[in-house]
Amino acid sequence: MDSILKVSGLSVQYGSFMAVKDVSFDVRAGEIFGLLGPNGAGKTSTLSAVEGLIKFSAGTVVVDGFDTKQKPRYARAAMGVQLQSTSFQPELKVSEILELYAGIYGVSLTEEKLKAILSEIKLEESGAKRFGQLSGGQQQRVSLFISTIHNPRLVLLDEPTTGLDPQARRQLWERIEAIREKGHAVLLTTHSMEEAESVCDRIAIIDHGRVLVVDTPQALIEKHKNDPEVIAVSRRGKVTLEDVFIALTGKAVRA
Amino acid sequence: METIIPKTSTVLAALLKADFTTQWRNRRSVVLVLLVPVIIIISWKPLAGLAGGTFVLSNGIGIGLTALGLMGYSNSIARDRDKGIFQRLRVAPLPSWAIMASRLLVQLLMMVLITTVVFVIGHTTDGITLTPAGYVLTYFTAFIGGAVYLCLGQVIVGLIKNPETVNSTSRLVYIAFIMSGMFGAIVGIKNGGSGDLVHQIAEIIQWSPYGTVNKILAAGMLPGGWNMDANYALLATIGYTLVFAVIGIKNFKWDTK
Repeated sequence: MDSILKVSGLSVQYGSFMAVKDVSFDVRAGEIFGLLGPNGAGKTSTLSAVEGLIKFSAGTVVVDGFDTKQKPRYARAAMGVQLQSTSFQPELKVSEILELYAGIYGVSLTEEKLKAILSEIKLEESGAKRFGQLSGGQQQRVSLFISTIHNPRLVLLDEPTTGLDPQARRQLWERIEAIREKGHAVLLTTHSMEEAESVCDRIAIIDHGRVLVVDTPQALIEKHKNDPEVIAVSRRGKVTLEDVFIALTGKAVRA
Repeated sequence: METIIPKTSTVLAALLKADFTTQWRNRRSVVLVLLVPVIIIISWKPLAGLAGGTFVLSNGIGIGLTALGLMGYSNSIARDRDKGIFQRLRVAPLPSWAIMASRLLVQLLMMVLITTVVFVIGHTTDGITLTPAGYVLTYFTAFIGGAVYLCLGQVIVGLIKNPETVNSTSRLVYIAFIMSGMFGAIVGIKNGGSGDLVHQIAEIIQWSPYGTVNKILAAGMLPGGWNMDANYALLATIGYTLVFAVIGIKNFKWDTK
């Protein structure tokens, strides 16, 4: 399977603090790849380096064949991004935000197409509403759609389901899976082990800036289910991904 | 799948449409920016006869431009940065300068609006009229003067990240500019005849950013009377703009983290 995203030896430094140390992984076409880690582990720094929002001190990031340092605009054109906060002007209407991002990504948007998009994201009645008036779930749907408006090969989602109710979360998972079905590669960060187990094909657990393991959720559970540390933290008699995660990253609460 | 890099003109058009729409939806802040110059022109009616129509108009435009750069521009940038709007735009395949260029074009339109409103109010309340060349040159000097305040606003958002602190700081600087400007104007009307210290302070104010902007605005309204003093004020204004721009851009961060 071809890699859409290839991260090799990535290091990110803030002053004297190394937030990401020699991180390497790849995300393949038609795959949902989860980046898991406690707070401050380096997930968002890794994602920001891939997105081109921060400069990295070492390593390479290649998106769909474009090196993000040598061809940043091509790399950015090949990726769609949903940031942690739904960052759109609250004064703009949903239809205006869609038009703005269609223009920015060079996508032509007719009136019919706009209606079809609003119908697809179940916001037919809300096209004329201002973004700030939408519910959290509706904002996430708009944000997720915009991340794929230009049909990118890679979609980056930073904690996409944070703050959503179970119904909205399930709906968003289905949408993320639909992105995968279209052959896109998806890289997402999450704190939810349930999410990682449910939607991710492979995951990387990152802590203190380093990748600890990369594998499928099931393989990770299988591999570690007899580890004494995992059994010690297991709460329900059955080993879960969360147990493996806690055993690998420690029980201490992070700031 | 082919990777498409959109044309810069298409990107800029999309950004401009969104930024103008946002500005339109924030009409209340536009009204607030226009309110002080309008009040000044109406309340300074007696001064129009005493100090001249250009004095009243240049102060009105100057105060409007101060409000625009210090309160309108800096606060909108601080708010959008805090909400992550810039970061969302920066992950798209567009050059970073396009994001700011679009914002600045909106401010340029606001400068035209402020100047026009001051002209209209000045004409209707005080009967002040300029020659066609005076009107044209005043628009140009308003752009140059407005650039000083936009760059000063940029300094504030460059040095301060928190939007609430940006808001309070820009208000404080705005009030300081207005108060010192008023003082300089009043002493100027009295021809600096009072004590040495007062005269010196008034001289400093006249060569402050506020003073030089007002000087070029007033000189622009009477193109025939443009003199060396106006040339020096123009040079000083450009100098202030460059210094503020360098400090503001160098220290600016796209996010608040």
